[in-house]
Amino acid sequence: MKIIPLNESGLKKSQLVLQNGGVVVFPSDTVYGLLSDATNRNAVMKLQKIKNRPVGKPISVFVADLKMMKRLVRITEKQERTLRALLPGPYTIVLPSKKKVSRLLESEKETLGVRLPVYQPIIDLVTSFRKPVTATSANMSGRPPFYSITTFLKTLSKKNRELIDLVVDAGELSKNKPSTVLDFSTSQVKTIRQGDLHFNLVQTVFTYSEEETRKFANGLLQDQIKKSGDKPIVFILKGEMGVGKTIFAKGIGSALGVSNIISPTYVIYYEYKINHPIINLFIHCDLFNIEEQNEFKYLGLDFYFNKGNVLCFEWGEKAGELIQELKKKAHLIVISFSHHGNNKRRLQIEINI
Amino acid sequence: MNILSIDTSADETSCAIMSGQKVLSNVIFSQIVLHQKWGGIFPTIAKRAHEERIDGVVETCLKKANMSMKAIEYVAVTQGPGLAIALEVGIRKAKELAEKYNKKLISVNHLEGHIYSSFVQNSKGNPERAFLFPYLALIVSGGHTELVLFKDHLKYSVIGASIDDASGEALDKGGKLLGLGYPAGPVIEKLASEVKNKEFFSFPRPMLKSKDLHFSFSGLKTSLLYFLKEKGPKATASELRQIASSYQEAVFDTIIQKTIMAIKQTGINRLVVGGGVIANKRLRNLLRKTIKNYGGSVLFPSFSYLTGDNAAMIGIVANFKAERKMFVENIAELDRIPRLYL
Repeated sequence: MKIIPLNESGLKKSQLVLQNGGVVVFPSDTVYGLLSDATNRNAVMKLQKIKNRPVGKPISVFVADLKMMKRLVRITEKQERTLRALLPGPYTIVLPSKKKVSRLLESEKETLGVRLPVYQPIIDLVTSFRKPVTATSANMSGRPPFYSITTFLKTLSKKNRELIDLVVDAGELSKNKPSTVLDFSTSQVKTIRQGDLHFNLVQTVFTYSEEETRKFANGLLQDQIKKSGDKPIVFILKGEMGVGKTIFAKGIGSALGVSNIISPTYVIYYEYKINHPIINLFIHCDLFNIEEQNEFKYLGLDFYFNKGNVLCFEWGEKAGELIQELKKKAHLIVISFSHHGNNKRRLQIEINI
Repeated sequence: MNILSIDTSADETSCAIMSGQKVLSNVIFSQIVLHQKWGGIFPTIAKRAHEERIDGVVETCLKKANMSMKAIEYVAVTQGPGLAIALEVGIRKAKELAEKYNKKLISVNHLEGHIYSSFVQNSKGNPERAFLFPYLALIVSGGHTELVLFKDHLKYSVIGASIDDASGEALDKGGKLLGLGYPAGPVIEKLASEVKNKEFFSFPRPMLKSKDLHFSFSGLKTSLLYFLKEKGPKATASELRQIASSYQEAVFDTIIQKTIMAIKQTGINRLVVGGGVIANKRLRNLLRKTIKNYGGSVLFPSFSYLTGDNAAMIGIVANFKAERKMFVENIAELDRIPRLYL
């Protein structure tokens, strides 16, 4: 292991080490990082050994510009506009990987974290190297990061002294926090497609205020309780943010005597005990945070698919395969919401009888 | 008096060993700092099946404190509010420990934990903060926004709460609308700080006209949606920081204004704040400034892990419950209450 200062020859030597599959301790806009060729599997394995990092934990990469970034990850046009506003900057952008770097760096969801920092030495190094390099902090997994080489050397083990090829010293770094992670990778949930469902009753309603949406929900539930037979009643609410799904759920709640419905986004669902001749429980569920199809089976919702229960799913688009199961087991009502101006909403109601 | 406490209310599996207000050890599986979160556990619910980790987390916690269950006097656990299937795991484990080692069990409300989090001390007993009741407690998290009269140990009355979305959720969902991924709270904070937290566009402050202390953030989110639709994606991208900052100010100003109303209505100018959103420095500064105008004081959790979900804050509440002999009478019957109130 050699320690050299950060200057032109330091950059050249670093590049040479990277080319030969070595590992370099290098300064960055945040903390001292461990750099290796992100496309070289052996170099990445060496890095993991140094970090003592369990296999399967993703590591992000530095790129020189947006062009290099686009080679590594899938970016939509809309995302690119946002990225141009943010980068370069202290952000790690997580996007679906194009598998151009070692797979060891990807997450199990096949996403990759990419950094385009405001730090010329890194930009210069990656530009001349013409390949992405790993962007992980030089500390061991679970330990605090280093802002100076002096403290780094103090805790350096004998094993790592042998594994690390080069240390580039830029003195004490300004104590910037580690980068903020932005996950842009899209949801892997299969959404309900038109045609997945065949309903025999379709109705369209317009509401002109929150109060009207609430009242409509209240009336609809009263009506459907009579028609549900011995099945649980399930509402699937579809439509974008701010369209009134929670308002509708509050209307359902008020029909059941629950006045304190709040958004369940953070905990996925809330269960309310109901004092009603036919209904026992109201389950208010929000699938906003659901990212993977198989997460449904961990939610324990099967437990609620019984007579006497009312379930209301916001972000029902994400209910995917669950819908087919529900069609058999439940009295199912699917409502698609859309905006028509500030307070006007269109509700398209499909009932599976 | 050593207490082993467990919290599994959402996506963090957490165990702590407390002696009074002091944390002897604390293990949180799933890390707080976002960059570590990506490096660690991605919060998929598949992994939220806490079952896989709870045993290991408790074991590690004991090991870190260099203790066996023999040295533990009481077991404490979060009963709610939270995700039903997640709460169940912690409760089952706590029951198992209590029965196996013949310990008394203490059930704790997660929100009590957030209120007490400013009084949690490290193993050396720092910081030393005396209880100067009564306090106004403000909880700002992903799932809750509440103003609570904290009259004495374990004595609370809720004087204001969100009637729809929580403040943390408003920030996260606003960020999602801005195309910043999810959760976006920390990104909005950063973008806003880059334009000095100034207000460039005016977003509504919901429910400020109402005389009560309740919050509503759902309409604010909708107003952002319409604002962005009108602006179009190109202009949105070029003014990302300005929009983020204005939106964050609207959320925080609502919190501040309601807090001021609460100070005026109750005459209490000592504030304790807990919950994930208080990790935000801008909100801390605004609260400090506000409370100064009213000649009062404000306490925040002293360590960053205490703003998120953690078992240490459950343990400190349990300590005061144990002093008052508030134990679970029938351990077998203890059940999770996903929508538990203070």
